[in-house]
Amino acid sequence: MRFVKLLVLSAVLALVASCIGTPLTYHDQNMDFSGVQTVAVLPFTNLSGQRNVEERVRDVFMNMLLATGGVYVLPTGEVARGISRAQATTGGGATPSVEEIQKLGSVLGADAVITGVVKEYGEVRSGTAAANVISISLQLLEVQSGRIVWVGSTTKGGITTKDRLLGGGGQPMNKITEEAVSELIQMLFLG
Amino acid sequence: MSSSRCSFWASLLAVCAATLLALAGCASLPAERDAARSALTPEVGERPFLAVLPLQNLSATIAPLAEIRAELIEALAEAGCDAVGDKELELFMAHQRLRNVGGINGPLAIKLGVATGAQAVLITTLELYAEQYPPRIALLSRLVSLEEDPEILWMDSVALAGDETPGLLGLGLIRDPAFLRQKALTRLAASLADRLAGFELPARVPGKFRPRLAYGTQHLEREGKSRVVVAPFFNHSDRKYGGEIVALHFLAALHRTGRFALAEPGVVHADLLRYRVIMEEGVSLSQAELLFATLKTDFIFSGKLFDYQDPKEGRGTPVVDFSATMLAQEDQGVVWISKSYNAGTDGVYFFDWGRHATAGAMAAAMTRAVAGLLAR
Repeated sequence: MRFVKLLVLSAVLALVASCIGTPLTYHDQNMDFSGVQTVAVLPFTNLSGQRNVEERVRDVFMNMLLATGGVYVLPTGEVARGISRAQATTGGGATPSVEEIQKLGSVLGADAVITGVVKEYGEVRSGTAAANVISISLQLLEVQSGRIVWVGSTTKGGITTKDRLLGGGGQPMNKITEEAVSELIQMLFLG
Repeated sequence: MSSSRCSFWASLLAVCAATLLALAGCASLPAERDAARSALTPEVGERPFLAVLPLQNLSATIAPLAEIRAELIEALAEAGCDAVGDKELELFMAHQRLRNVGGINGPLAIKLGVATGAQAVLITTLELYAEQYPPRIALLSRLVSLEEDPEILWMDSVALAGDETPGLLGLGLIRDPAFLRQKALTRLAASLADRLAGFELPARVPGKFRPRLAYGTQHLEREGKSRVVVAPFFNHSDRKYGGEIVALHFLAALHRTGRFALAEPGVVHADLLRYRVIMEEGVSLSQAELLFATLKTDFIFSGKLFDYQDPKEGRGTPVVDFSATMLAQEDQGVVWISKSYNAGTDGVYFFDWGRHATAGAMAAAMTRAVAGLLAR
């Protein structure tokens, strides 16, 4: 009987643990991140099915990254000019090749470029409960070698127990976007 | 005898107090803030003589523009300003092939002044217009000097909806669009009259409209007024002309602080056309360099608009979401960023108290909050 109780308890714990979104991150141990002074944030890829969300998330990310004061983020107009001059393929599910990254770096004068994917954005439903969710993953590529030196991924929002029991619709989309971006920036700087 | 002596001393005291108050009032007005009044009233008692351009329609709907303009001229007359005659203005516009009524450049400004004798030009933009219940109207207006380098002397906006203050038993509801229009135009004319009389426009904004994120570098601090160009915002929203509307709200907000010398949008527009500048996703550094050199500006203010929603036929809540960026000539890079988003029901808990019914009113408050932070 005691064994069954323990089994049930561990199963519940495992279930709860699986429900908590664990952020994923990778840091290249050989990379000196202090050498990254200027970054270009390329247009994100949108897999969410909603219109324009990649630009919303990119804008929040660029602003919050610049606001850290740790790196200089090139303005979007300059990045667009660089993409056009380097004839690089970005956004819409396409990722730039190593050569394109290197060319972009030299055109823009950036030390690194950041690409991103918005995997989920918007409302999710489960039964009668509904809440907003966002899922983003980002990559930092060093322009000299074109290698991926950092990867971060996070999911915020979603339906909580409170939402199921009391309703309420979760947090506003802008708020969870800021939370997700803030977590990614922490991952980038703190490792 | 004693009563006449008392009245003499009382009137002497009153005259002294009035003189002191007037002197104190004059001293509290900084010289540059009083530019509007001195430029327009060279002689005491003379009524300002303005050229009122036809309205620029950014409402993306059909609106009675001529009627609104005529009513605006009437409201201005009541507020103490005279306007150039319609025929005279039409002749000038036809002769100069003036089609862009959303701004004025230096050469045209001088010609307008010479041809009509106007002291300044009033440029008005219709942002929102709906006659169906609840009627809605939003206008942005600015007074520009007729000089080689046109200066914005006054700028303000008004946004009203028929159902924004229903009051007790719905007694405050406005169903007649003509009445709402009149109310908006009178408010705009009164604001101009106040400015010409030397009063400063109120700058306080509720805390809920502060930007959610704002970051600036130390390079913003300068002596005197910094010259700023406000470029159109990149529009990601569904609202047609949303980028231009938010840029105009920023222009009004920055002007209100009194800390910036703003380039007239007509001058910026002319330069963008002359140098064939097409801003893809915003201002690039090479474009910024060109604008810094040609417009002799210290900063370029621009950004992105993500949402600019007005309720449709009274249903829904207005939503405004934008981010702003400022590039500096000295640094050749970004020195200020901010992110703002609000819904009309933000901070509303009881009986719709504090609700905003138009995106225009919210955008005005949100841009004022950003400008306030910038000017600090």
